[in-house]
Amino acid sequence: MQRSKKIWFWLPYAISILCAILFIYAATSKLWDFQQFKVELGQSPVLTAYAEWVAWSVPLTEYALSVLLLIDTTRQKALFGFLGLMTMFTTYIVIVLNFSDYVPCSCGGVLENMGWTEHLVFNLFFVALAIIAILQLESRSVNKSNLS
Amino acid sequence: MTINTVYIKLMGTLCLGIGLVVIVFLTAEKAVHRNNAFTRRYPPHPLNRLYELNLGFNSYYVAGFEGDDFYLGNHTAPKHLLKINLVTKDTSHVKIGFQTKNLPFRNLRTALYPPYFFIMDGTSPFILRGEIGKWTAKLWVQNAGYFLKAVPIDSNKVYLSTVSTALNRTVLGLLKIKDKPQLELNPDLLTPQIDGIFDSDGTLFFDGGSNTLGYAYLYRNELLIMNTELNLIKRLKTIDTITTAQIHIASDSIDHISQLKAPPLVVNKTAAFYGDLALVHSPRLGKNEPAHMLQEASIIDVYNWRKETYEFSFYIHNTENGSVKKFHLYDKWLVALMGKTISVYQLNPAFFAPPSFKTK
Repeated sequence: MQRSKKIWFWLPYAISILCAILFIYAATSKLWDFQQFKVELGQSPVLTAYAEWVAWSVPLTEYALSVLLLIDTTRQKALFGFLGLMTMFTTYIVIVLNFSDYVPCSCGGVLENMGWTEHLVFNLFFVALAIIAILQLESRSVNKSNLS
Repeated sequence: MTINTVYIKLMGTLCLGIGLVVIVFLTAEKAVHRNNAFTRRYPPHPLNRLYELNLGFNSYYVAGFEGDDFYLGNHTAPKHLLKINLVTKDTSHVKIGFQTKNLPFRNLRTALYPPYFFIMDGTSPFILRGEIGKWTAKLWVQNAGYFLKAVPIDSNKVYLSTVSTALNRTVLGLLKIKDKPQLELNPDLLTPQIDGIFDSDGTLFFDGGSNTLGYAYLYRNELLIMNTELNLIKRLKTIDTITTAQIHIASDSIDHISQLKAPPLVVNKTAAFYGDLALVHSPRLGKNEPAHMLQEASIIDVYNWRKETYEFSFYIHNTENGSVKKFHLYDKWLVALMGKTISVYQLNPAFFAPPSFKTK
């Protein structure tokens, strides 16, 4: 009982760190081969017209969110940000798989070896993690306010 | 904050994320199709390479199609045609007999309009005509007017470009033969920008199925679509952004000879029709395209001229003998002439709806 409580206590932190690592990795791999990333975005059926600024804003947002995820006071807001961005990525994958004229040959930078469907499952997993972390943090602050 | 509000916030975040991407998707579709943003899209496999044939010489040009046969003319051997069966890949040589005398041959060019073939020389000027299969060319028109480029569009009608002596600039025209030859020029179609000659240069192209004429300016992002009476149907802008020809002309004030003094910026290298589709060979890169592709392939942009939309683009890869000089779409094939070889591709009907099935 005590132990599971402890797990629940640390879970949001663990999840935040995991998410931060994911975003730092993702952003770095994009900027590493930025030209290639821009070309791939440009060939994407959804983003062609916006490739230029999406290419810059996505990795920068990812860095910013990872930093905020590691700071106690901003963690919850950052988790919402993370959830929002992950939702967008997931929606993008669903649209590309189902509604666009064609599926581009490779997905930009991040975890290149994953197929589109695996990517979808992976993303959904992180979406679920973020939701759990948010709810956990939230129930804690509710408990606190009840106590006081 | 209660548990309830956090659920609302969660739902809000999810909806916002999904909504934003969906909106971007819906607007991007429009932006790519209609904006002059000059971004291309390359769907996979709009056509499949079937085979290549080595012709042995680089002096061949496309003369036309008849049945399953593809005909090539030769600049250095004007009385000779190469016939290639696109299905069986059989090649055979055709020798054309000339029933003419004392005609000055300067720049002969053969073009097919089944059941006839035409041998045209715009600098002499004359046109010979004969029947495909019989291969005897007889004098058909002589001294009806000089011309630069010409395409037969009916058994007694030729679509041409020429320099009008009255206007001193390039104009489009029709040469019709009823009882006697009649040259009709339409000076309103081509719009001069710099000198009216170099800047208006372009490709004449024609689609027999829909009876449409096309003109693709070499140095600006414009296509003209006309009917066979040379009435303008549409002026189309390509996805390129060059609206004014970027050429530099050096003219000699004494003998009035003009020359291009710098390599011009080519926008539309050549063009072809396929039903409602107009295809343009563009030597220019769009946004986010790898630069090395220009060395490896030719970019073909596909437009639907009836709907006035940009559809998609594809590559025709260079062979070791060169890059695309000219390409034509015919039946279910795309044939590209490149240096010493021709490449034959099969069109994917999902991208190239056969013109005959379309309602006009």
